[in-house]
Amino acid sequence: MIGLGESLIGLIRLGDIVLYLTPTTLTLFLTAVGFTVVMALSRPETQVELVFGMDGYKKSEMPMGEIKFRRYMAIVCGVATAGAMITGDIFDFALFVTLAGIADVGIVAASKKPQVLDAAYQYGMTLMIAGLPLFGAAALVLGTAGTLSLHELDTIRVSGVVAVLFILGVLGEIGVAPFYAAKARLFRALGAPYIIMIHVSTLLIIVRTVEIIVTLL
Amino acid sequence: MEIGALFQTAIVIGFASAFIAFLGFVLERDDVHKLVLTDLIEVLTLMIVACVGTDLAECLILPALVVGVAEVLAFSELAVAKEKTRLGFEEKTQQSPLNIEVLRTSPNLIAIILILYGAVLTGFTGGAVAGLGMLYYLVCRWEGDITKSFWEGVGAVSGVAWCLWILGFLLFFIVPDLWLLALFLAGGGILVKVTSKMGLIGIEGKRSFRSPGGKT
Repeated sequence: MIGLGESLIGLIRLGDIVLYLTPTTLTLFLTAVGFTVVMALSRPETQVELVFGMDGYKKSEMPMGEIKFRRYMAIVCGVATAGAMITGDIFDFALFVTLAGIADVGIVAASKKPQVLDAAYQYGMTLMIAGLPLFGAAALVLGTAGTLSLHELDTIRVSGVVAVLFILGVLGEIGVAPFYAAKARLFRALGAPYIIMIHVSTLLIIVRTVEIIVTLL
Repeated sequence: MEIGALFQTAIVIGFASAFIAFLGFVLERDDVHKLVLTDLIEVLTLMIVACVGTDLAECLILPALVVGVAEVLAFSELAVAKEKTRLGFEEKTQQSPLNIEVLRTSPNLIAIILILYGAVLTGFTGGAVAGLGMLYYLVCRWEGDITKSFWEGVGAVSGVAWCLWILGFLLFFIVPDLWLLALFLAGGGILVKVTSKMGLIGIEGKRSFRSPGGKT
């Protein structure tokens, strides 16, 4: 039995890298791919605000360059998330999570407002220093267990410290999520629907991280 | 020391240095200095990965390095954009990105060091190192004009070096006894070829980097 996904559907052996398919990873992968396609095809909404005290309204629209940048970043984030869902290698997972993190910050950073850019910069700093526990944990797994393949790691126990480091790393990489998940205007705010990608990718990554931790311990 | 104990010591030293770097990061208030400190933390990440010391670890360092460099590039761009919006900086403002003092004073020494080190290394790596030195010097300091004969001359040197490289490889298979000669032919050839190619990039880059406003 591997991790959360009760039964093993199949193994794809590519030399050292063994991809494994379970109902959990397959569902997560298909969700990520499907959502990326939706992101790529969807059009941003125009936010309309009523002006108080008179009969009028104002529209706030994103400029075309910003829309294109956000859409590109959302697609990159979706592809990275899909990769992190299907991979069978703990180091590849770390790389995909980092890429998804950079793309998340990119989606936020498309804005031209100073306070938003400042916040994105601080997210970026968190993301960069979280690389140390994440890659450090992957290196420790290689150093103590002798393999990076999650399929083989299922039968080898790794020390709890490594798991804690790994969780710390992933939390840092997706640290941008809570600030956007709690936002009530997520679906209607300026920048929607692309900022939903931040939400979806981080949720999927958290689920996969739980599966990997179960595999490691 | 036994190899297992060595690994443990190296990992402990790595994480202790990381702790010191994190302390510095917590105490630092300036945004740009924070970016520099995160770069330090990236280097420590590479060190911890390198502690494993197997062939596989060597393959892991490169992606980790690429990710680190990508992050530094992305977030320094973000820092520049942030400062520009904060100061109300106009996009159209004329500026030369290479108008810094260190780029006028350092190229001589750094180019000499890189070219000498590249010549010692030989091969493709040496070519890349020496070429980087040449590129740095040409972009920052070189004042000459590019004539047609000069351009073609560099191209011809590159072509001859390419032939030497192929000759070296052929010798390996035809006369294996002359392996040392073949090795030097191939190593020297690829060194000159890569260096001259990167030099041409430097000449071309000089125009677009040094003129005011970035591009001509």
